[in-house]
Amino acid sequence: MRRTVVAAMALVTGLLLILDLLVVNPSLGQAAGALNELLVLLAAAAAVGGAVTLGAHHLREVAAGAGSRAGSMVLLGGMVVVLVAGLRPGSTGSADPAVAWLVAALLAPIAASIFALTFLFLLGALRRGFAVRGRETSVMAAAAAIVIVLLLPLGGAPGDWLASGATWVRAVPLAGVFRGLLIGVGVVVALSAARFLLLPDRDDD
Amino acid sequence: MPNLGELAARLIGILADTVGSSSLRLGAAPTVTILLVILVLLSLVARPGIRWSGRDIGRLAEMGRAMALAAESGADAAVSLGSAGISRAASALERFQTIAALPILGHVARTAARAGVPLRVTTNDPVTALAAAATLASAHRLTSTPERAAASTVAYIGEGRAVSAAAALSGARPHGVAAVAGGVGEEGILILDGQLRAADWSVAGTASASQPAGPLLVADGALIGPGLLQAAAEIAGGEHARSSVLAANRLIWSAIAVLLIGSAMGLAGGPHIAEFLAGR
Repeated sequence: MRRTVVAAMALVTGLLLILDLLVVNPSLGQAAGALNELLVLLAAAAAVGGAVTLGAHHLREVAAGAGSRAGSMVLLGGMVVVLVAGLRPGSTGSADPAVAWLVAALLAPIAASIFALTFLFLLGALRRGFAVRGRETSVMAAAAAIVIVLLLPLGGAPGDWLASGATWVRAVPLAGVFRGLLIGVGVVVALSAARFLLLPDRDDD
Repeated sequence: MPNLGELAARLIGILADTVGSSSLRLGAAPTVTILLVILVLLSLVARPGIRWSGRDIGRLAEMGRAMALAAESGADAAVSLGSAGISRAASALERFQTIAALPILGHVARTAARAGVPLRVTTNDPVTALAAAATLASAHRLTSTPERAAASTVAYIGEGRAVSAAAALSGARPHGVAAVAGGVGEEGILILDGQLRAADWSVAGTASASQPAGPLLVADGALIGPGLLQAAAEIAGGEHARSSVLAANRLIWSAIAVLLIGSAMGLAGGPHIAEFLAGR
């Protein structure tokens, strides 16, 4: 019964949104808009719950002296600072200059520093890849080496030849692989979504 | 009070007015094409005689043995559900990968529950955390191992893709079985390396078109592109629905709590949290 109710709700919601995509109707648009508003509300409620749980977990860690107390203190301090900046009297919420400064001066550089590690970790992963599955990793490394050579900042005729080669690689083989992957993913997404809703219960063993 | 005939006439009139006040957004041909595609897909899926292939994609069939070895050695299992989430500001395709990762999490959770291996799930999205918690609860109920449920945890690690990568790197430690499933971006290799590097057996899956190299390089079993979604669809259908019900119940209670607290704050003259939460 529960499965039937959930499947029915999902089907009705999906059909309503698809109809709103296909048909221009004020009532339909309002109903679809209300559904989207409900989704925003649900996400906001879950975000508050998640943040409270995260804070409570680290408060317990600090109180019990378990885990990394310094890390927990930093996280709790960060949460307090952002909440104070966003909710203090006179604040404009997420658009407040204090919140914007915290994001631009602290969060964005920290995130950029983490993403900068990608190159180093890719090298480490390549090393492990050669040890575990040499053939596939060799193909990937060779392709990466070719692209690096094509993108070398050279001038003159060799530079022009490399630049035209890089353009061709991006426009033909790379774009072909990307489109193939995306088409395959799109087809299986549609099938998977329908199967999640419509297939009867079955065990995986 | 109108009789049945008048009631039917009114209903038909309302329907006629609604249809009369509507117009096709995309034109006749594209609309018919989209509806035909949906009909064909549904007929393919619902056809009772259909048989879906049962290949061992991503070497998921090896997980039972890997989990048994983890139980013998006293190791744990860890799953990261990527960095896209369900309610985060990511593309629909990325978020759908998180939903597709839940059946895979259910598979890991059931094998871990049977083997008695503690499982730790991490995510950067609170809605995904609710769904993951419901999936774990469902796995322990299905395997009749409620006494082992306390050993398995779901951790919400905070908002942001960088947070996922940082948490995976800072919390890197040996696991018996480790898995990453779901949408990932440029930080994918950081999550994969931090989560899977020291695992005895690992599987990684993503349908992100720009990130197929990470699972191939780092994991023992790889689910690339459509493979992630195909594996999820082949594993199970029923548990997914049960997990959805449990997660939906928790979401509804959370929403009611936020409504009540927000209303109380507004009545008391405090800040209006609705605008802050919705970012308006």
